[in-house]
Amino acid sequence: MTTPEPMPAQGASPERRLHPLSWLFVLIKQLKQFIVPLIALFFFGRGDRNELWPLIGVGVLALASVWQYFTYRYRIDGDRLVVRSGLLHRSLRQIPFARIHNVALHQSLLHRIFGVAEVRLESAGGEKPEAQMRVLKLSDAMALEALLRRRGAAAADVAGAEAADEQGELLLQLPLAEVLRLGLISNRGLIVVGGAVAASSQFSPRLIPNLFESAGKMLFGYAGSHHFGPAEYALAGLSLVLGFIALMRLFSMLLALLQYFGFRLVRQGRRLTVERGLLTKLRTSVPRRRIQAWTLREGIVHRLLKRRTLQIDTAVAGKQDDTRGMGELAPVATPPACDALLQHLLPRARWPLADWSGLHRDAWLRLWLPGIAFAFALSAILFWRLGMWGALGLLWLPWAAFVARQHARRAGYAVNDEVVAVREGWWSRHWRFAEIDKLQALRLTRSPLDRRFGMATVHLDTAGAGAMAPPLRIRYLPDAEANALYERLARDVARRPLRW
Amino acid sequence: MSDTPADNAPPTVGNGWQPLPPRALNLFVLANILGFGMIALVAMVPIGLLMPTRSLALTAALIELVALPLFGVWLARKQYRYTRWKLDADGFALRRGNLLRSETRVPASRVQHLDLKHGPLERRYKLATLVVHTAGTRNSAVSVTGLDEADAETLRDRLAHQIDDDDDA
Repeated sequence: MTTPEPMPAQGASPERRLHPLSWLFVLIKQLKQFIVPLIALFFFGRGDRNELWPLIGVGVLALASVWQYFTYRYRIDGDRLVVRSGLLHRSLRQIPFARIHNVALHQSLLHRIFGVAEVRLESAGGEKPEAQMRVLKLSDAMALEALLRRRGAAAADVAGAEAADEQGELLLQLPLAEVLRLGLISNRGLIVVGGAVAASSQFSPRLIPNLFESAGKMLFGYAGSHHFGPAEYALAGLSLVLGFIALMRLFSMLLALLQYFGFRLVRQGRRLTVERGLLTKLRTSVPRRRIQAWTLREGIVHRLLKRRTLQIDTAVAGKQDDTRGMGELAPVATPPACDALLQHLLPRARWPLADWSGLHRDAWLRLWLPGIAFAFALSAILFWRLGMWGALGLLWLPWAAFVARQHARRAGYAVNDEVVAVREGWWSRHWRFAEIDKLQALRLTRSPLDRRFGMATVHLDTAGAGAMAPPLRIRYLPDAEANALYERLARDVARRPLRW
Repeated sequence: MSDTPADNAPPTVGNGWQPLPPRALNLFVLANILGFGMIALVAMVPIGLLMPTRSLALTAALIELVALPLFGVWLARKQYRYTRWKLDADGFALRRGNLLRSETRVPASRVQHLDLKHGPLERRYKLATLVVHTAGTRNSAVSVTGLDEADAETLRDRLAHQIDDDDDA
């Protein structure tokens, strides 16, 4: 370790505590889990009293959080944060600023009313955040964050040439219209509906089926009393589907408004900070060099609206299910704006990359194979049910070939001294790239099919790749080319020190 | 797989690619017999339930009780034969498989930590399992079973040595 030993004499600040009301927030968080059964008990009067037993647990938790308030202290000690907690079982945790990857400030509506905030400090790896402070006075939280920003930058770069100016440089801001566009693009509405269904079945398991039954009866009763033709049915079905889609989009837009209102991406020295949220405010900041890989996405709706999404991976554990990490540098932005952002943040990569190489000449054949298998399976099933008409299933073949060709035509990769990038997709496209410095391991694979075609696939592994992020792999390259690329990258990676 | 002579010839040992010690074959065979034996035992349940007559069920059970472990032995020989490792200036590399070929490379500068494991079977044959951990996501642990004990220790020491050189943060 090159980090200097702690020197309490220099730059040590007095110990600080959590906000006096911190126990209240712990309690509220715990109570949230019991609120549904409690309401159900209160209004519907059903269920046995056993549902109240967990409340004893809540009481214990409340006591524990009061206890925590009295025993939890933190102080800044030179280049590190020292957290002292516990009275019987004491623990002292030292977190060097240079090791902190992500600082997240979280402020729900309730937090805002009380003028407090939750702070979370994350270093790479591990299951839990390095420190979670629930809750600090807002001014304390901001002071801590500003300090981390300054000290973290100074500690990470011994040269320290670039002094972080407090204001920072605004890289991206989403006006209201953009936030609404984002809602239009995203499928968050589905999550709302799913959540609503789950919640309502908590209250009354029969609610949803009943609703469907009565709606169905009404519709079919109506349809039964008027004798509609097939055209009318088709029209009714179509309008139902369109109505559903419109509703989804509306929910998505509302959700986007809640989550992304006032989105601002700011660069302060070496840190990137994102602020967003209408009711619950979020502020996360990550040092620029902690970014592990980048993903640029462009779906169909994106293309209709001439927008793209720029996402990043940071090496912080357990962030997949968490909305607090910094996942998006640009939730929605025009392609030139995305490119400008990348040029600014990855200057040596010279984005957009110039020399894209294609895949193996026959890659489309290889991509077609699953389609062929599917077409035969489909027509076999159809043949069994419908007889000769089943042969229509073979129509899938030309369609699959067309899709495969489109995919193969657009897929490709690019490598320069700084980054390696791969692009894939036809309807829904993505570009994924990482700095060569950030690659961790390489793998070259050949299946028997690949060998018959003389192809190989290069897989590149980076830290913190999300489960939803497309893999960084270059599929179906000519054998020799794949080998050369693999060897070259392996050599380059070996020569560069790990900086993450 | 087509059994052409070229496919059956053992892969080249040159260029620093090291084979596993012959003792490791025993380990592979034993592990696979155990594994496939378990599968064969479990498979007796559906056979008993699905086969229409008792004699048919008995035949099927006998066949699979013999065939699955035999397949395991065959697979073990293949696995043993096509596993090769290499340590060079760039780092550690591992080749595996004939049907599904893969080569994994962990540059020395990316090794996070190393585990050396000795199972009871491995201790008996003086073998060890080396697990190379990186900070990556999908290939974050590259594990080699059946290494010679001394080789594994050399590997660990040499790879661990390089970690000390470049801690920058």
